[in-house]
Amino acid sequence: MRVTTRVDAVAALAAAGLMVSSCSGGTPAASGSAITVRGCTPENPLIGTSTNEVCGGNVLDAITAKLVHYNPDTAAPELDIAKSIETTDATNFTVTLNQGYKFADGTEVKAKNFVDAWNWGAYGPNGQLNSYFFEPIAGYNDVQCGYTAEGEADCENQPPKAETMSGLKVVDDYTFTITTSSPTSNLEVRLGYTAFMPQPDAFFADTSEGKKTFGDAPVGAGPYKLTSKTDTEMVLEKFADYSGKNTGSVDKITFRIYNDTSAAYNDVVANNLDVTDVIPSDQLVDDAWKTDLEGRNGVRDTGIIQVLTFSPKDDNFKNTKMRDAISMGFDRALITKQIFAGARTPATGWVSPVVDGYKADACGENCTFDAAKAKQLYTEAGGYKGTMPIYVNGDGGHKLWADAFCNQLKQNLGMKCSVEVTPDFSTLRKGINAREYKGLYRGGWQMDYPSIENFLTPIYATGASSNDGDYSNPKFDALLKQAAAAKTNDEANALYQQAEEILGQDMPTIPLWYQQSQFGWSTKIKSIKMTPFSTFDFGSVVLN
Amino acid sequence: MTERPNAEPENLTQPQIMQPQAEIDASAREVNLDLQPAISARSLGADAWEAMRRSPLFWISASLIVIFVLMAIFPALFTNKDPYDCPLELAREAPSPDAWFGKDLLGCDVYARTIYGARASILVGVLTAFVTAVIGVGIGTAGGYVGRWVDTLLSRTADVFFAIPLLLGGILIMFTFPSTAETPYMVVVFKVVIAMAILGWPNIFRLMRSSVIQVNPLEYVQAARALGGSPWRVVTSHVVPNSMVPVIVVSTIDLGAYIATEATLSFLGIGLREPAISWGQAISDASGLGYIRAAPHMLIFPSVFLSLTVLAFIMMGEVVRDAMDPKLR
Repeated sequence: MRVTTRVDAVAALAAAGLMVSSCSGGTPAASGSAITVRGCTPENPLIGTSTNEVCGGNVLDAITAKLVHYNPDTAAPELDIAKSIETTDATNFTVTLNQGYKFADGTEVKAKNFVDAWNWGAYGPNGQLNSYFFEPIAGYNDVQCGYTAEGEADCENQPPKAETMSGLKVVDDYTFTITTSSPTSNLEVRLGYTAFMPQPDAFFADTSEGKKTFGDAPVGAGPYKLTSKTDTEMVLEKFADYSGKNTGSVDKITFRIYNDTSAAYNDVVANNLDVTDVIPSDQLVDDAWKTDLEGRNGVRDTGIIQVLTFSPKDDNFKNTKMRDAISMGFDRALITKQIFAGARTPATGWVSPVVDGYKADACGENCTFDAAKAKQLYTEAGGYKGTMPIYVNGDGGHKLWADAFCNQLKQNLGMKCSVEVTPDFSTLRKGINAREYKGLYRGGWQMDYPSIENFLTPIYATGASSNDGDYSNPKFDALLKQAAAAKTNDEANALYQQAEEILGQDMPTIPLWYQQSQFGWSTKIKSIKMTPFSTFDFGSVVLN
Repeated sequence: MTERPNAEPENLTQPQIMQPQAEIDASAREVNLDLQPAISARSLGADAWEAMRRSPLFWISASLIVIFVLMAIFPALFTNKDPYDCPLELAREAPSPDAWFGKDLLGCDVYARTIYGARASILVGVLTAFVTAVIGVGIGTAGGYVGRWVDTLLSRTADVFFAIPLLLGGILIMFTFPSTAETPYMVVVFKVVIAMAILGWPNIFRLMRSSVIQVNPLEYVQAARALGGSPWRVVTSHVVPNSMVPVIVVSTIDLGAYIATEATLSFLGIGLREPAISWGQAISDASGLGYIRAAPHMLIFPSVFLSLTVLAFIMMGEVVRDAMDPKLR
């Protein structure tokens, strides 16, 4: 689950903005083709299957190559290491690799590097955060540990039945096959996610716990290689033997670790840092940042959506009219304008506009502000009994919009509500996972791969891993199954869109807004592009 | 410390006293004779009042305090706007004849919220000063009057609390016992008060203890004791009233500091919370660098009010000290 940890980290640090301590030692390196980029401390070792946050993801993205590469402009999948991925039934896939791809340590990328890495990532006892990405592959369940009565993985007493997934088979050095347990028409789109990166032989030779030694000096087949990693910076240099199409432009990229995004921002303004991917929210007001960074700022639509989930434990929401009333009773456009200074776009559905298969207006009039109609529905539903709590995390700058949202409901519906702020993101997640809260709680979703499916199945399918509202509708589930088994992508997307329409009737969550990422660069750089995954496309950097 | 001459004679007429009436009168007269040539026959309070009346600082701080207290009790006297009425369309609007202090991030009226914010700040300041004074005076008197191991025990306990910085302790306590929206207003306020009082009392305790030890050996206390006054009576009638001056002075000064600490806790998001309105919260919400550039009024007005209140109480404390402590004159 890629809940928007990044957005959270950002504002947590913005809160500590008074303690501005820039860690920039001096001016950027003298060499013409070196840039410095704002970085943050990776949570986990730099291994594809254990990195699910941007701090590590930004670096991995530059040093790895996968079967599929997402186009930095459109997010459409393009073949990279794979020469072809063929299937006739959306279940049996044959992957042929391009020959001559090299890892940064000089060894060649072969079929077994993929198969072994995926098996390792999926194997339960290895405890990889991203192991759920391998779920569609046949035999995935056999490599998982058993569960205790409390529902926790128990690898000691109930080890997995098998060590490798039956759905992966090496045919020869440059060919392997994937069999999925049920038809998965969009498998190709998924294969570009970091979890599906190949690992070199050195990775398997590493015997340290959790491959920590390798994680500190990861080796990928990407356009850059990591040459040093310390607590204050991570240095990437261009990989001379890189054989793919996505060549980097500058010779050296240094990710400088900042604890405070305001400090990074100020350094970019002062040309002490070359690129920042985060603009502090207070600088967005009246476009102050665009004045500070005139001619060197950019905005990118990214695959992030924010929603408010109706608590399944709250009886007030059993009536659909109540849910409709709340969703209709606040002005999304006004909040995005006044609170986010236009850095968000009001949502009209549950799927981000940047992905393949997006269709506007799935939510229809339920997401269109209409105070009179909302008030009428609210009265018909009998009104909310008591005070409705709205849970947000305190380290993500969410209190402000939540206050505005609550004020609007007070004005338009006459309901009582209160904003409950948890100290941090993980406290909020714990409360949600334990289903402790009544009322509404915040949910953010950052796409793993650019497909409409990624915004529906993991969040709204019955029993799905991130189904925070315990939503369940057999019709919806059936459509998802049909779509997954569809022969072509267009057919699948049409079915997914039908499924999304059902969400529009049931309103399991309130779609709030789609997120955009703002970024800025120093005078040293002429232009740089951001991908829809809010990472930088280092191939597009042009220096002055 | 100054003795209170007119209090003495009546205190000494106790039924169980076996000495002849004449002697007591004589001793009382002696005490009176000692002091009367120095100052005219006025109580300490009246004397202090005489001194304060002539200080312009007193009038400035007193009028500020009166205004802020009025604001705290009757906010509606100062504004007829609802501080909870926040039209988002008007967010961050600059000051205008319609909204004197402008609008905040959510479109609430900054003037109305600043006026309503006085209540929380002053309530917290006054209550904390009062609670610390009660605890400090009680324990300080016990330590200073009884002495011996009781004193040692109490002093070391106070040292332990004294070693914890007020802000750090406040953060710890407020984090451990967070408030939710259902928590009633007064409970939220009391939590903040208790958090600060638990760590603020040793200050008053030390003052009280040392001034009790100073007063203890004085003749009138000895006399009261020799005449068989019960410890309770000796303490309440002679020791405490004559040791209170430094406590009154320091409490008044601390009151300002407590208001500032409350603002800090609220700034950090763990002090007072919605629906309570406080200056600390307002300052916290308005203090992003970009916000300061775009709408400085959101930050300036609550800050000015906070500073003025803290200043008024601290000035008042200074004036009271000057008036009550004859050694400084």
